[in-house]
Amino acid sequence: MNSRKPLLLLFALVLILSSLPLAAQDDQISMTMWVRSIPFQTQALVDEWNANNDSQIELTVIPSAEFVTKMGAAIAAGEPPDIASIDLIYTPAFAAAGQLVDITEYVRELPYADTLTPAHMELGRYEGRNYAVPTGVDGSFIVYNIDLFEQAGLDPDNPPSTWDEMLEAMRAISALGDDIYGYWFSMNCAGCNAFTFLPFIWASGGDVLSDDYSEATITSDPIVRDALAFYNTIWEEGLVPEGASIDNGSNFVSAFTGGNIGMAGMGNFAIPLFTNDHPDLNFDVFHIPGKEGGAASFGGGDVIAIASGSEHVEEAWRFIEWTMSDEAQIEIYAANGQIPVRLELVDNPYFEGDDRQMTAASALAVGFTPYTTVYNDLFNDPNGPWLEMLQVAILDGDIDGALELGQERFTQIMEG
Amino acid sequence: MNLTWTQRRKLTGLLFVTPTVAFVTVFFIIPLIMTIFMSFHDWPLFGERAFTGLENYQELGKDRQYRKSLDFTFRYTALVTPPIFILGFILASLVRHNIRYIGVFRTIFFLPVVIGLGVSSLLWTWMLDDRIGVFNKILLDLNLVPKAQLFLGRPNTAMNVIILSVVWKTVGFTMILLLAGLQAIPDELYESAEVDGAGYFRKLIYITLPLMRRFIALALILSVIGSVLSFDQFYIMTRGGPRNSTISIVFWIFNNSFTYFKMGYGAAMSIVLLGILVALTGLQLYVLREKE
Repeated sequence: MNSRKPLLLLFALVLILSSLPLAAQDDQISMTMWVRSIPFQTQALVDEWNANNDSQIELTVIPSAEFVTKMGAAIAAGEPPDIASIDLIYTPAFAAAGQLVDITEYVRELPYADTLTPAHMELGRYEGRNYAVPTGVDGSFIVYNIDLFEQAGLDPDNPPSTWDEMLEAMRAISALGDDIYGYWFSMNCAGCNAFTFLPFIWASGGDVLSDDYSEATITSDPIVRDALAFYNTIWEEGLVPEGASIDNGSNFVSAFTGGNIGMAGMGNFAIPLFTNDHPDLNFDVFHIPGKEGGAASFGGGDVIAIASGSEHVEEAWRFIEWTMSDEAQIEIYAANGQIPVRLELVDNPYFEGDDRQMTAASALAVGFTPYTTVYNDLFNDPNGPWLEMLQVAILDGDIDGALELGQERFTQIMEG
Repeated sequence: MNLTWTQRRKLTGLLFVTPTVAFVTVFFIIPLIMTIFMSFHDWPLFGERAFTGLENYQELGKDRQYRKSLDFTFRYTALVTPPIFILGFILASLVRHNIRYIGVFRTIFFLPVVIGLGVSSLLWTWMLDDRIGVFNKILLDLNLVPKAQLFLGRPNTAMNVIILSVVWKTVGFTMILLLAGLQAIPDELYESAEVDGAGYFRKLIYITLPLMRRFIALALILSVIGSVLSFDQFYIMTRGGPRNSTISIVFWIFNNSFTYFKMGYGAAMSIVLLGILVALTGLQLYVLREKE
């Protein structure tokens, strides 16, 4: 019996030793990251990081319309992701609730901090402290089909610069055939229309919120009515496909790729999709015009932040800092057609000679982003007042009713 | 331990009810007390909470969508209940007698009940689609409509097609409850009525319906509660649209609690809804009570 003891000991030792590498692996930092379903290069960034670093990131993609709800629930349950790529407009709400890590000290040490896109930095600040840095830059503009412009006898080198010119172009293109339409909007998608319709109002010098975001100006600013009437005309005259009225955003990008749509509101994120997946699509872009001219853009996109309660703040920041490095910005962002978050890198070898990318990037110069903690409730919520107002005005033609309804519900939400 | 027979009996009884009591306490009583407590607070999903007394309840009076949702929910309940009952009763009558292969038909009618409401809602969403949906294909092929219909995109049709899908989904359950009631009626009663010369409708009114009172009450209460608390079908099939016309009351509670992060306000709405449901159920029980 006794002779077995050493053998058993040896066996136990082997077991212990063989389990050691496993234990070491458990020590390896593994972080979770969430991003909304928008085709930025996030997956490419994470893959590149995981291939070259000990720490590993697990990326989860959340449907855009559900992001705030899911993130809120995760935070309430005490299980937020370590890193979150958040639609920039939600950052004030999350920062105000104390759910993001203060990264002011880290940001101060970035040599290029001044060149990071200002709208994103602004939205990532709360009471003078930094909580997020830009990770996806996305301005809105109008994309147009050059072939259809030519067929309709329009000059593709001289795209419309007023609402009337846009209407004229839409009518000419719609006249080309039963299945051809001048325009596309996703009229059952709240966020899409904040992104592409609000700039029509801004470019005309109007707004739906007062400058200090304290009250709604829907009924008091006449431009809001004009812009709704403009879109109502597009709908009434059948210049958009009927299906546009119920599209919840799933065709926001793909509708234009069919080749039978003359113009559509779009964002930077779509350009690489168009050029890579639809090489035959002959398109160009122009800025969203005001009623009588001018230009505006919604400075959209994502910022990246560390959620409060993360146990890996240092490592998470190391990843975030790397995403803004020259290497990541040029070789992952620009190489895949995504605009760098550092403005000085927009001039890069990949963008050289592509006017579309340069025009799209220049939209950011006229880009504007509302700063309010109730942005989601006002604009992006599928059941919020913004979408209901648009649908009642544009699809039902009841502009007065829509303005009143919008003003009342905006005010109610802003008063808390 | 030496227990007398009576003590043992009491102990056994206690042990039998314990799981139910524990279950109800953990999953109903405690959450209910918590909900009442929350409803008196400004209770964000995360962040600081503060006691606000009755403010949430006062807020309800100013909430336009809350009134709209209440109105919608009760309109929906009033519209969806009769078809479920009439069709449920017809189906139950059809499969009442134990003849050969009747089980096949009972199974077919009951099958939609066992799939989830979420799954059935998705199924119907695709079937109703304007581009790939089977309904539009049939209507177009038969030349009944000039072009594909956007059933879920128009306020006047959205409610109707949702009701259609819910009737399909739930009628089997009502059928089973009513079938149990039908089969509990002794055949002798019908036979003697026939001897007296009663036709189908006289038998229905004087024998079938009065003797099924309890089963009808049960089916009605379950069906009405289910309709008042409906959420999935609207969340999935219309997302509350078009023009926010299909936001049920539970949908609005969900939105306030988890999208606008106003848990306290959502709790207050839930308590009011609970009160309404208790009153409604009491009313149904009173109307359908057994008259001694």
